[in-house]
Amino acid sequence: MSPIDLRLQEALDGERGPGELPADLGEAYARLISAAQLLAATPPASVAARVMAAIRQPPVPVQTEGPMRRLVRWLARPRAVTVRLRPAWTLALAVGLAAILSLPFVPGFGRTPGAAEGVANFVGHFPGARSVEVVGSFNNWSRGTLHLSDHDHDGVWRGGTVLPAGQHEYMFVVDGERWVPDPLAGRYVDDGFGAGQQNSLLIVRPVAALP
Amino acid sequence: MTWMQVLTLALLTTPVGLVAQNGGGVTRLPGRVPAAALPAIDSIIAAAVAESLPTEPLVQKALEGSAKNIPADRLVNGVRRGLLQLRQARAILTRAVPGQVPPEGHIAAVAAALARGLSGPIVERLLTMAPTEPPGPVLHAAADLIAHHFDPDSAADLLVEAHNKGLRGVRLLDVAVAADHELQRPGGRTPSEALAHVRAMLPNVPVPASVTRRGTRGSYERP
Repeated sequence: MSPIDLRLQEALDGERGPGELPADLGEAYARLISAAQLLAATPPASVAARVMAAIRQPPVPVQTEGPMRRLVRWLARPRAVTVRLRPAWTLALAVGLAAILSLPFVPGFGRTPGAAEGVANFVGHFPGARSVEVVGSFNNWSRGTLHLSDHDHDGVWRGGTVLPAGQHEYMFVVDGERWVPDPLAGRYVDDGFGAGQQNSLLIVRPVAALP
Repeated sequence: MTWMQVLTLALLTTPVGLVAQNGGGVTRLPGRVPAAALPAIDSIIAAAVAESLPTEPLVQKALEGSAKNIPADRLVNGVRRGLLQLRQARAILTRAVPGQVPPEGHIAAVAAALARGLSGPIVERLLTMAPTEPPGPVLHAAADLIAHHFDPDSAADLLVEAHNKGLRGVRLLDVAVAADHELQRPGGRTPSEALAHVRAMLPNVPVPASVTRRGTRGSYERP
């Protein structure tokens, strides 16, 4: 510790006037006085004290919002969303969606027909049949694309699909081997192969043309 | 354009080009049509391509015969019969609508009407009635009426009148359905009475109950 000058000590004790001090001691005197005044001042409240004071204040009345307004506010408030994609998962998701969209229509799990398409429903009465499918010009006469179903086992087989509007020839294939014209089709055309067999004829109306 | 876009475009257009060159469907036949029938069917389809006739009805007929296990000779005859009907259809269209190249869709529709048993003169008359409209619906309406034993000329008269009163497209099919309903009505109407009754209600023929936005029935449910 450095010893304090006696003259400065006397000035601080009030035994000597500050004006009697030499210039360097006068500056030291002024700094010491300022420091003493700072120490004498009331210290600001601590953070904890300020928080507690705020808690003790009476609550400010707020305007209550209904759940609908809060929902609207929540929906309207912009939010930053971060999306992180793994290309492999994204590709798999896209393939899955494409597969779902390309599924053929069956009742209860179908797609909406476009303006130039219509929905065709098929019903056949084949008691005892194990399987019934519809094969025709709309599926290139390929098997296995449009199966009818008989959920209640009453012998009435039903199914449907979305088809392009226009004329379609078809037949039922029962149990995978028996080709049968739709007995209730109402329209028939000779199949042209010389045995007098007839195809059923369906005219699908475009959805856009329906009332 | 990046190299990836060029590659994608090339991959997409190559099959289209191949199909277009071989008649738009012949590539679907190998593997499905019996080998014994394939050369003859190929030549029939090539003839259709050379004559600018639609080939899709012929391809469909070949696929149909193969799916039904029709013997090769009858299968070829069936496809050949289809070609003859397409030729006849184009001749009728050319007479009915002179000065125009008939669209492939119109040729196919007329051929389908001939396959249903409509006579050339009836087809020609109905085509002349509406030369710019797709002919499928009116021809099917006529075929429906004739299949229900209405006189062909009277059936054509009714359809011409329905067209003159503003009915177009698939609404002409409703005329045929209405006539059939009148014929089936209890109490018994003759075909000419049924046609007269439908003529009296034109153009307000009802849309059949079997036709809704939920679907056109390929087959009518039993009551």
